Amino acid sequence: MCFQNLPIKFDKDGNASLKENVANPYQYKVVKLDEEQDKLKSLLVRNGFIKNIDYDPVTRVAGALAFHSVVDLQNKKVLSTNSMATLFRGYEIILKGRDPRDAAYISSRACGVCGGVHGTTAALAIEMALGIVPPPLGLVMRNILLAIEYLYDHPLHLFLLAGPDYSEELVNETNPEIVVAAGKTKTKSGHIHGYNTVLDIMKDLNPLKGKLYLEALSMTRVAREAYVLIGGKYPHPQSVIPGGLSVTVTITTLNELYHRLIKFFDYGQKVAAIWDDVFDFFLEQNPAYADCGVRPATMVDTGVWDRPGVYDASYANADTWGEARWATPGVVVDGELITTKLQQVNVGLEEFVEHSYYEKWDGHRFKTDPAGTPLSPNHPWNKETVPKPGKQNWKDRYSWDTSPTWDRMPMEAGAYSRLYVTAKAQKLPKSKFLESTGHSLKIHIPAHNLPETTLEWKVPEKWNAFERNRARAYCIPYSAMVAMENWMIAQQLLREGKTSVSTPYEIPKKGVFMGMGAWGAGRGFLTHHLVIENGVIANYQIITPSTLNAAPRTPWGALGPYEEAVLNTPLIEEFKNVEDFQGIDILRAIRSFDPCMPCTTHIMDNDSNHVVTREVTTCACGLE
Amino acid sequence: MDWNKRTVLGTIGYHNLSNHSIAPLLIDKIKQLDWAKNITVEEMNWGPIAIVQWFQSLETPFERVVLFTAIQRPKRKIGDVTIFKWGGKTPHEKEIQARIGDAVTGVISPENLLIIGEYFKIWPEEVYMIDVEPGPEKAGEILTPKVGERVMDYLKTLQIVCKQGCISSDNFVILHGDKISFK
Repeated sequence: MCFQNLPIKFDKDGNASLKENVANPYQYKVVKLDEEQDKLKSLLVRNGFIKNIDYDPVTRVAGALAFHSVVDLQNKKVLSTNSMATLFRGYEIILKGRDPRDAAYISSRACGVCGGVHGTTAALAIEMALGIVPPPLGLVMRNILLAIEYLYDHPLHLFLLAGPDYSEELVNETNPEIVVAAGKTKTKSGHIHGYNTVLDIMKDLNPLKGKLYLEALSMTRVAREAYVLIGGKYPHPQSVIPGGLSVTVTITTLNELYHRLIKFFDYGQKVAAIWDDVFDFFLEQNPAYADCGVRPATMVDTGVWDRPGVYDASYANADTWGEARWATPGVVVDGELITTKLQQVNVGLEEFVEHSYYEKWDGHRFKTDPAGTPLSPNHPWNKETVPKPGKQNWKDRYSWDTSPTWDRMPMEAGAYSRLYVTAKAQKLPKSKFLESTGHSLKIHIPAHNLPETTLEWKVPEKWNAFERNRARAYCIPYSAMVAMENWMIAQQLLREGKTSVSTPYEIPKKGVFMGMGAWGAGRGFLTHHLVIENGVIANYQIITPSTLNAAPRTPWGALGPYEEAVLNTPLIEEFKNVEDFQGIDILRAIRSFDPCMPCTTHIMDNDSNHVVTREVTTCACGLE
Repeated sequence: MDWNKRTVLGTIGYHNLSNHSIAPLLIDKIKQLDWAKNITVEEMNWGPIAIVQWFQSLETPFERVVLFTAIQRPKRKIGDVTIFKWGGKTPHEKEIQARIGDAVTGVISPENLLIIGEYFKIWPEEVYMIDVEPGPEKAGEILTPKVGERVMDYLKTLQIVCKQGCISSDNFVILHGDKISFK
């Protein structure tokens, strides 16, 4: 049974219907958060050390997330967490009433890193709504474009944003004993990356000066150069359109691409080996690190990279073309694969606003999806964005983020979910470079300067901050080999004279059309749900990975993924005085999700008024 | 005075923020001005790291950089223009790292560009920032009258600074990277 909590059942032929005799099938319990807050207050009265928390205004330009923790520094425990998006961006409102063709260009601006995936997801939503199927070359070039976008994004996360948390400089401030041990620990993969000890790696992870940091900066340039060959410009490509791409592709284009792509063959091997060495070392040094950012492996992914000849843009065949993708869509609950059907991924989605600055909308316009499966009134096709600014209140509303769930469970999302689901699913069509085993993903990498090799990312036993980042590292060779496989198809298509990259279409002036774009950002799951009515956008809903990860509590009180991961994080950092506390373990937990907005964390010691403020900067597309 | 210095004029700023968007709003007008061959006009919203890498890849480096932008500052009236001459210096490394974090994730900031550029040593001796006082941030695709009526002055200032730099120290304010507030 796919759904445990939603009132949807399937007959033996797989046809879905609502469970009978349920008076209000989509009803849910709304739990007051007073009790939790009152408990904290009562602790405050009894112990005199829990304080109300003051938030610094987040004044950075691109967007904002405040993350608040109350910690007990005596017992080294996190007591309470709240994830709070502090800015309303309103793309869904901007898009309402516009020509659907605007969606790709406008929604692309939702992010300063992953503009291409937003543009593409918008294009996919329109393709589904209007039945537009791109030609094969358009599809494979789109696949390459977006694989390259990930090749920009992953090194950026691993070395520029999350990597410094594992650098010699930062670790020396919080856990000098780790640095001492790293100096005595030989690496396992020195033959690949060239480092003798783990400390050698950690030194090169140092921000601004470390060789790995600077190399990642230069690799982002390689990826950008490749990207603009197809997209025209970065980060907001001009060539992504419904029905394919608006760019001329020639053998020269492919040669220029190849010249850049092969640099990621060696780099992918090296990055995976580096992070294997670093993370294995940390986990061996102190097994408590395995609880940093730990939560059940409960995640969702839409899959990416469509296969020509299978992708037909239709909702009716979404399960088929979804499973044919180079990354399999799916849902994993506590490590178990629940579904790989894109329709089920879609139908299980709901968004709740009880703890968000939005009004609950009226109505339930679409009772079923186009295949006849029941849809919740909280499904994105039914949801409407009605902002309701208000005062932050931990007992009531405290975020501009909504609380999305799948089958009423908060889900996390990341590039790692792409890897996790694909490895478990064993649905990958025949590939020269990739092999899904059910417990791992094998990535065959051809020789460049390093000899050819097969990397194997294995589904980990415990899902924590270290494993999120490790999986992200393997996403570099994974993305590179998907790009390579698509590059080979593109070569063949050009040889056959199949040079068309787009399919013309018109927007019907009358009628209602529904579409769902399901792709993935560099940091995972991305959906755009679209309703076109009489030629204009009647409703548009975006769920980004950070909408999922940064979610506030559900109406029934379940913590959002950041909130849960940080609550479970042990404080391993060493410090003498409260003022010296850096909050590195909490930062590692949050950064492992690659929070998709400039995120300021505030950590409150319950024994003092000490507030630690740390920037967790990444891109800014997580807000509505 | 050197009128033949290889010069780049870069416009920086978000769109749709009225006076704060003066640079993107005026870029077409700026490009249409009569520029000498040694002066290149570039939209420079594409990120400090990409710009650093561009400068590093130039066979013939620029000798003068002029940035055009609008940043709200105290003690100025809306429409006032200040010429800042970059005096170098960088803030603490943790702040530089935070600014790089901003830069690689799409935040548009001329001050981030100046500081990151300084850290990576891309700047020539002459770097200027011509900065219009925009007043409080508000949405909009047009300039307010107080700024709109001075557009010709701004364009003239750009032309003069691009052509000959700033000769008199009375005309500019020195800006140091370690004195710029991050918040």
